[in-house]
Amino acid sequence: MDLTYTATEHEFRAEVRDWLAANTPTEVLPPIYTAAGVAAHRVWERTMFDAGYSALHWPREHGGGGAGLIEQAIFGEEYLRAGAPMRLNRLALGLAGPTVIQFGTDEQRRQWLPAMLSCDDLWCQGFSEPEAGSDLAGLRTRAERDGDDFVLNGQKTWTSMSAFANWMFAMVRSDPDSSRHRSITFIMVPMDTPGIELRPIRQLHGEPGFAEVFFTDVRVSATNVIGEVGEGWSVAMATLGFERGTGLGDHVRFARDVADLVELARRAGVADDPVVRDEIAARWVEVQQFRRHMQRTATRLAAGGTIGPEASMTKLFWSEMEARIFETALKILGPLAELADDAPDSLADRGFHRRYWHSRASRIFAGTSEVQRNIISERVLGLPREPRWTSS
Amino acid sequence: MDVELSDQQRELAAGAREFLSEQCPPSRVRTAWDEGHDPRLWSQLAEVGFLGVVVPEEHGGLGLGDLDLAVLLEEAGRVALPVPLLETAVAALTLLDAGSPEQCKRWLPGIAAGEVVATIGLPGQSLVVAAPDADLLVLARDGGLHAVEADRCELTPQPAFDASRRLATVSVDTGPDTSLTDDPAKLARFADRAAVAAAATLVGIAAHLVRESVAYVAQRRQFGRPIGSFQAIKYRLADAHLAVEFARPLTWVAAHQVGVSDAGDPEASAAASAAKVAASTAQATANEHALQCHGGIGFTWEHDLQMWLKRGKALELAYGTPAAHRARIADDLFTGTGSTR
Repeated sequence: MDLTYTATEHEFRAEVRDWLAANTPTEVLPPIYTAAGVAAHRVWERTMFDAGYSALHWPREHGGGGAGLIEQAIFGEEYLRAGAPMRLNRLALGLAGPTVIQFGTDEQRRQWLPAMLSCDDLWCQGFSEPEAGSDLAGLRTRAERDGDDFVLNGQKTWTSMSAFANWMFAMVRSDPDSSRHRSITFIMVPMDTPGIELRPIRQLHGEPGFAEVFFTDVRVSATNVIGEVGEGWSVAMATLGFERGTGLGDHVRFARDVADLVELARRAGVADDPVVRDEIAARWVEVQQFRRHMQRTATRLAAGGTIGPEASMTKLFWSEMEARIFETALKILGPLAELADDAPDSLADRGFHRRYWHSRASRIFAGTSEVQRNIISERVLGLPREPRWTSS
Repeated sequence: MDVELSDQQRELAAGAREFLSEQCPPSRVRTAWDEGHDPRLWSQLAEVGFLGVVVPEEHGGLGLGDLDLAVLLEEAGRVALPVPLLETAVAALTLLDAGSPEQCKRWLPGIAAGEVVATIGLPGQSLVVAAPDADLLVLARDGGLHAVEADRCELTPQPAFDASRRLATVSVDTGPDTSLTDDPAKLARFADRAAVAAAATLVGIAAHLVRESVAYVAQRRQFGRPIGSFQAIKYRLADAHLAVEFARPLTWVAAHQVGVSDAGDPEASAAASAAKVAASTAQATANEHALQCHGGIGFTWEHDLQMWLKRGKALELAYGTPAAHRARIADDLFTGTGSTR
């Protein structure tokens, strides 16, 4: 146990902090679901790229920063402390890129990785379908081999960034006769291919950003397949594993949310209410639990360990914690909670309601809390599997 | 930055688990309920060095620190150890922290050798664990810390639902000769240490409750299938396991911080309170779900589950209730002294 940082790590933190202080945009960028927002975030990503900060977690040989986990955590903490913009190409840098690095050919790496780093290519994710949400292996989008191509027909949904992305990494069913898991292929789809149609979905909190993506006879080269045809399920599970390994430094964001609760309680005149104080303290404790858990995870990974199904515990904990933080905020506001952020009597910060409702979404995306509990109970605790109904 | 046990601490945990599961099966906990303090178990703990884990080598102990103690106490919690290891160890740490060389020399070798049973009483705490068995009581009284011999104390036994707690209220005449210190920082560290030691024990109790429940629901069949295949059961145990796993690293960090920081360091105090809250909450979750998962069989006197259910509930509320620790954290958050930032 050692809670101190080395001299090199202190230097790295100072360097990152100085760079962020000098370069972080002072004004809030327009949201990334608008063309202006995408353009502004691209400029920021380019600045990060030029400084070598765009993908610290990628190996150097593939254009990344080759940073260790402690450095990644330090960068994550400083990035959040600086209030720097959200990452535009998160799906490429966090999911698609590491998948290409692990499973792609040299040719594929050359084709895709540099443009992910520079943000010349933006990526979206094609996993979920109307009939394949929690039951991802039930996906139905077909991919039929035709010469050198696959021909795609079907539909993806909840696809964020699809309006601006020029690539999608997708799971498709390439062999309708094989078993559920053995007939899935992982394929990269250019979004400008004829036959792709988008239908935007407005979210509960009013924002756009999601879409349904329809495929009608979409021809994609077989050279875009990642890994072997029919082995897409294991590739995709590795992809999701990359996502579950992230979050180092995220405690800074949640700690700030708890500090905001203290301010909010003062503003609402309930700073002396013992019930309010008790709840805020409970939230603070949970953030400390998350922080130490993540530091322990980083220690294990840095020592060459791996995380398997335990990753579900991290997702379940932070998403439930985040939801509780915002529920506490609502309780503090009381009857004023329902007021829009710009209502004359509103006490909430701008963007509060978007964040409140987003915290409710956190329990659903990237595997619902219920799916995570299934994974924890069956694959971590080893309890017997739920008997499955066999669908048609 | 390294939030993990050392190889030596992992060996300590493994060794303690093997020793305690062998020497302290549930039957022995039950015996202690009927027969009181178990001097033979106490001697065995001394022989393997556990009673002197934090006592310096010059006084016959292992000379280890707060985190090592936390590791050992988690294992003690797993077997519902029916003797006051927690209290004796915190008393030893407090003598080291606040006692004179003479006071240390007087008590520490006896603690390490198993000849002295010690216990503790926090500020405002009237109930003292193992009071009828203790030779030494380290008590926060009259604004200071005191090391009091048993014969200067008047006890009123207070039977409890966990008979191995052996509680009593204690009245005592303190004087200059019993005084360890009046330093409020050291009083704070005394309470922090008790909270962290309780947290570590609670993690062990909760982990045991989850483990036993997982084993039970995997073999208990109803409706033609193991009840552990029902999501209603699974979700309870997933939540309990989550709570335990997320309480443990925080408890380790708090133990480490309380040990290496200056006495009364506000950041260490905040960590200690946080650990007690997290571990108490994890224990409460595991406690509720364990009995629900066992159903009627868990509510029988014969079933061993009750020993962990009762010890868990007792420790959940001892050494600072979760609400009291949260109130302390809230004071810090709202006055902004910086330790909770």
